[in-house]
Amino acid sequence: MAETQTGEPGGKKGLFTYQGVAVWRHSRIIEWALQIVSAVVVVALVVWFFTNIANEVRDREIPYGFEFLDRAYQTPIGEHFLPYESSDSFLYALGVAATNTIIVSIVGVVLATALGIIVGVARLSGNWLVSKIAQAYVEFFRNVPLLVQLFFWFYIVLALPPVREGHVLGGLLYINNAGISLPFPQPAGAETGAWIILAALAVISGFFAYRLLSARETQTGRPSYPIWAAMTTAIVIGAAGWLIISFIGGEAPLSMSSPEPQGRFGRISGGWTIRAGLMVLLVGLVIYTSSFIAEIVRAGIQSVNRGQIEAARALGLTPMGALRSVTFPQALRVIIPPLISQCLNLTKNSSLGGAVGYTELTNVAITMTQTAPAISIFILIMAAYLAMSLTYSLVGNIYNYRIRFT
Amino acid sequence: MAADTQAGGRPPATPDIPPPRTETGAIGWAYANLFNSRHNAALTVLVGAVTAIGLWFCLKWIIFDADWSVIATIGGRFIIGNYNTDHACPGNNCFWRPQISLLMVTTLLGMGWGIAAGGTAKRVAIAATAIIILLAFLPYSLERMGWDVRLLLLANAPALALGWALGRYTPLGSVRWIIIFTVAGFLIHLLLMRGIEGVPALQPVAINQWGGLTLNLMLAAAGIGLSLPIGIALALGRRSRMPVVKLLCVAFIEVFRGVPLITLLFMSQVLVPLAFPEDFPLDNLFRAAVVITLFSSAYMAENIRGGLQALHRGQAEAARALGLPGWQTTMLISLPQAIRNVIPAIVGQFIGLFKDTSLVYIISMLDVLEIGRTFIQGNTEYLSHAKELFIFIALVFWVFTYGMSYISGKVEEHLGVGRR
Repeated sequence: MAETQTGEPGGKKGLFTYQGVAVWRHSRIIEWALQIVSAVVVVALVVWFFTNIANEVRDREIPYGFEFLDRAYQTPIGEHFLPYESSDSFLYALGVAATNTIIVSIVGVVLATALGIIVGVARLSGNWLVSKIAQAYVEFFRNVPLLVQLFFWFYIVLALPPVREGHVLGGLLYINNAGISLPFPQPAGAETGAWIILAALAVISGFFAYRLLSARETQTGRPSYPIWAAMTTAIVIGAAGWLIISFIGGEAPLSMSSPEPQGRFGRISGGWTIRAGLMVLLVGLVIYTSSFIAEIVRAGIQSVNRGQIEAARALGLTPMGALRSVTFPQALRVIIPPLISQCLNLTKNSSLGGAVGYTELTNVAITMTQTAPAISIFILIMAAYLAMSLTYSLVGNIYNYRIRFT
Repeated sequence: MAADTQAGGRPPATPDIPPPRTETGAIGWAYANLFNSRHNAALTVLVGAVTAIGLWFCLKWIIFDADWSVIATIGGRFIIGNYNTDHACPGNNCFWRPQISLLMVTTLLGMGWGIAAGGTAKRVAIAATAIIILLAFLPYSLERMGWDVRLLLLANAPALALGWALGRYTPLGSVRWIIIFTVAGFLIHLLLMRGIEGVPALQPVAINQWGGLTLNLMLAAAGIGLSLPIGIALALGRRSRMPVVKLLCVAFIEVFRGVPLITLLFMSQVLVPLAFPEDFPLDNLFRAAVVITLFSSAYMAENIRGGLQALHRGQAEAARALGLPGWQTTMLISLPQAIRNVIPAIVGQFIGLFKDTSLVYIISMLDVLEIGRTFIQGNTEYLSHAKELFIFIALVFWVFTYGMSYISGKVEEHLGVGRR
């Protein structure tokens, strides 16, 4: 717009004109003035904010800086997947807490996506009953705050009997207010490592068998059963490796370990215990997030042109087959971007874990502020969360970039 | 149709055979929706059986096994928290102040009904007032809930009628006046709750004693009212061609979207007081409102940006071609259409904001959820009945959030989104 006016030969000339237009009416000058003003205001606010904080920190002798990171944290962390001792440093403790957040996020994202797809597809089912149940599920869990749901599950678990009087199912499954204990394979030294390498090889060879046979199927049209062949290959190699390794090493690579109550208080050792905090947080996060994902999946499937489904059915595909190989791949383009933002929400919502006794990043950071400078800790965990959110954005951008060319 | 065929000179038609029983009525419906294939019939039987058993156990639990007395024990504290306790309000005579706010709300609802002349506004106004009036008939003894409380609750019926008459028959019946009254009412509410030093009936009540559902609704109202304009400004800034403004908006949006709300809330408690003079009136409520509003406006900006991006370029170009200056193009052409197209996302964000008000527990504010949780922690004999309590709180939240999405659906229908 500015350009059209600048060319006019009859523009007024004067002290307060630029390119023949009065400066307070010239859009480019207005824009620059606006930018300079907003930049000055924001910079002034930020400087004022942090100068005040810096002054207060100096006057009240509040500790700051990052020297504390090497000090021993001296506080237990309830749940940890990495080995952790109270004598470990603050930095390592933050790493342990971040690992907790990442693990609950990964497991939660996988489960919530699976459940969300099931509910979303059920919502579109031709069966009235199934679709109404899915709708009720979505409308209820989506509209109730996550924290309320977490407390609900938390107090249900809390009301379970204590470890000593806990429920035992078939002598294998122990359910009590400390969590669920179930049998789990236990590694056994060098044999385990060798077998894991072999098992990985088995999976890779199964994958190649699948690629090879499905290529043959598409080229020749002869049925080659790629999935069955791949699974057989993987299982045969894995089982053969198991037998050979146990024969040579004299010990099975993995042995089943069952939970056993021990001692006067019936503490359970062996097997694998999913602690109450992790369980409650996972159940809450998965149910809550899956109700959002279900709506995204439904909208995505509905966005696919009806003609696509009708054409697939006319070609003789079953309803399930049409969904799997025609509708769903097209719906994915609509589904993936909001799905990624839901996964990011799940990660951020895992910060509520502290309320139900799961020691994730925010919870540990808040505890740390009692013995370490709060400002430094907040800078660190903000950086950690921003890094996680950038990772999700990166995945989303890569996906967007890839579908552009297909 | 029958008349047409006779007029054409053909022999009189035999009377129509009624459609087969399996095509109409309940049986036809069941055939079409539940048993239309063998596989679907099996699914219906299986899912139906599981649902029936589940419902049976749920009903049995709700009626016989559950003990709902914990809800009656907490009672009015769900709504106003510790506002009317001896500690906060010596003499326990502060209960009428939130009640006045409630009367203002019903009057505004009535005005909305009067202006919209029925439809959804009518249903919402009547349903809300009916619930409030039903509260007056709760089976409490008179000591627990006196005549004064019950009468103030009943006064909501005339308040609704008054609002309706104001909206219908006076020049105040316009959306502009409703917005003005809502803002004014909110400020009066704050003043009432706070109290005025020296006025005998309005003894001051410390802000950290406010709580309950009132707190959630206050935070949500402030957040909803402010996050939309801030979000619009941020979205426009992010799309502007001015690099500095764009950079600032992007930085704000990404930082607030990248960090969990409770981290921000806790940070506001630790960091923000350091930045202000010590006598600055910086209470928890104010800080929570600011943080929740800013957090929500970052999401709101992204929703509105999506709406602006989806808008066809031709709209803005046509407006410019008609000679509208830039800001009028945005205000009159682009924004209204963009907002109309993303109403579901905006209301979804409002719902998210209302749900997020339950996170203020992290800065030790007693919202409706925290009231319940602290009660359970302080009275361990109710520990085994915590389920009932949290189901009740979930339903309270659900009524509001589902109501919001219901109204948004109706507004969309009214504006004809997706039809034009």
